[in-house]
Amino acid sequence: MADAISVRGLTKVYGGRLKDSVAAVDNISFTVAEGEVFGFIGPNGAGKTTTIKILLGLLFPTSGEAEVLGRPAGDIETKRRISYLPESPYFYEHMTGAEVIDFYCRLFRMDAAARKQKTQELLERVGLAEDGNRTLRQYSKGMLQRIGIAQALINDPDLLFLDEPTSGLDPMAHKDITELIASLGKQGKTVFLSSHQLGDVETVCDRVAIINRGRIVKIGTLDDLLRAGRTVVTLAKPTDELVDKLKPHAERVSVDGELVRFYVESEEDVYSMLEAARGKATLVSVVPQRQTLEDLFVEIVREVRK
Amino acid sequence: MIIWSIAKTTVGDALRKKVLQIFLVVAIGLIIISLSFSQTLSFSSRAGSSTDIMLVKSFGLGLMAVAAWLISLVMGVTLIPQEIERRTIYTILSKPVKRYEFIIGKYLGAILTLAINVGIMGVVFIAVCVFKAMTAEPPPTPQETGIPVVGMEQVGLFDWNMVWGVIMIYFQFMVLSSVVLFLSVVLTPTVNFFMGLGVYIVGVMAPLTETLAGPDVKLHFLLKGFYKVLHTVVPNFDKFNITNPLLHPETQVKSIPVYTGIVTLYAILYALVMMLLAVIVFRKKEV
Repeated sequence: MADAISVRGLTKVYGGRLKDSVAAVDNISFTVAEGEVFGFIGPNGAGKTTTIKILLGLLFPTSGEAEVLGRPAGDIETKRRISYLPESPYFYEHMTGAEVIDFYCRLFRMDAAARKQKTQELLERVGLAEDGNRTLRQYSKGMLQRIGIAQALINDPDLLFLDEPTSGLDPMAHKDITELIASLGKQGKTVFLSSHQLGDVETVCDRVAIINRGRIVKIGTLDDLLRAGRTVVTLAKPTDELVDKLKPHAERVSVDGELVRFYVESEEDVYSMLEAARGKATLVSVVPQRQTLEDLFVEIVREVRK
Repeated sequence: MIIWSIAKTTVGDALRKKVLQIFLVVAIGLIIISLSFSQTLSFSSRAGSSTDIMLVKSFGLGLMAVAAWLISLVMGVTLIPQEIERRTIYTILSKPVKRYEFIIGKYLGAILTLAINVGIMGVVFIAVCVFKAMTAEPPPTPQETGIPVVGMEQVGLFDWNMVWGVIMIYFQFMVLSSVVLFLSVVLTPTVNFFMGLGVYIVGVMAPLTETLAGPDVKLHFLLKGFYKVLHTVVPNFDKFNITNPLLHPETQVKSIPVYTGIVTLYAILYALVMMLLAVIVFRKKEV
């Protein structure tokens, strides 16, 4: 499968050669395959938006190369096949929802009939068909975000850049937009998703890159990145002697009344513990826990900060 | 099509800016009030003498110039930075829009907004002038006064010179808009506001910079060179100030239409050069 995005040794330094210059993006390299939903996550100021802006040709790299759909980033012909939803987008408030979509359709040089049809189609798709004639001043944040999504779908793009598409939305709007992103992935679109909503990223993305202080610290499929994790073994009324015997197998032990929970890292330890506890305590549960993206993210960021 | 779409959106956005609306409303209000100013300040006991009307015309043209100056400056300095601050520029430039299309569209929108504002003020101003002329009492005859009458001649209802005056105000600030729009590509709005102010003041004082750069004034050659550059680079806003020739056409300019035609050409050429520079700089501008 061809690469939709290819980044090699990309660096962006703000402040030129002055002493206080900051590398917002520091020698990063990655690729995103066509049809992939790619998560790009990192703490605030990690370099996510800078990377997206370079890929869109809004910023210029200090060094390195960035290609989008096989052409240099910022290429005008490529822009016919891509789209972008910035974080907290603002549109001209005096216009109605339909006028905003019509305006963006004009930027693709669509004729009047095509614009009218596309506007109607997109307003329906994002659930704003009834509100198309209201000015944006009367829209809620969720409705504005839907307009943002609609303008990003005008050209039926092959590649979408979504920067915090669900930020600040109510649960319903959040769910709708997450489902929309998932459906885009199923249609074979390439999605480059930057988000702090790690649950969303985990749900919709095929691959994830974690960026921190301008550097990619982890990249891979979710299965590769998220290890099987630990298992929680819960016993009722174990004797003190048994608890002492089992402790070396567990990473952590917590007591909750008559229940004692053992947090065990390896599968081998789980079996050893169960063998040792047989007949000496009541087994309540054995629950395997997969590491979440949030766990991994926090772990990596903390490690880097140390 | 793209340039025109961006221009139309810019006009819609700019016309809803409260600060610009205030400038317009205050200017229109003062132009209307000038009817009573002239009666109060009149040197004649009769309303509507040529001196009265001259006062209304002079006051109106001056007021329109101040309002247009404020509108072009405030609108020009915020046009591009506001698009970046509100992030609208990102959704536009990530579409197949060339950067020059964006800049030209914004400038076209700015000068259309200026045209609408100056046009509205101009219509009110000319209506006030016509009303003043209509309500004028017949001038006193020499027999009534016993002395030759000066400045009390009966005037025509419609004075075409005032139309030229309004046009000159428009082109003057069309040039200023192009300067501040170019500067807005490289400067912050606050710095740009003061730069725009400075450029306007230096431009209005063009005869002075010309004299200082000329052979009649003895100055250090570096200073002379500085004035020469200033006089050449900064737009000559003095050319647009034709209030006196308009009010006394027989004294200074032979043909107002020819003069305004030449100055209009100058304005268009200057604005084109500014736009060209803005397009060149904006090509590599990071947003």
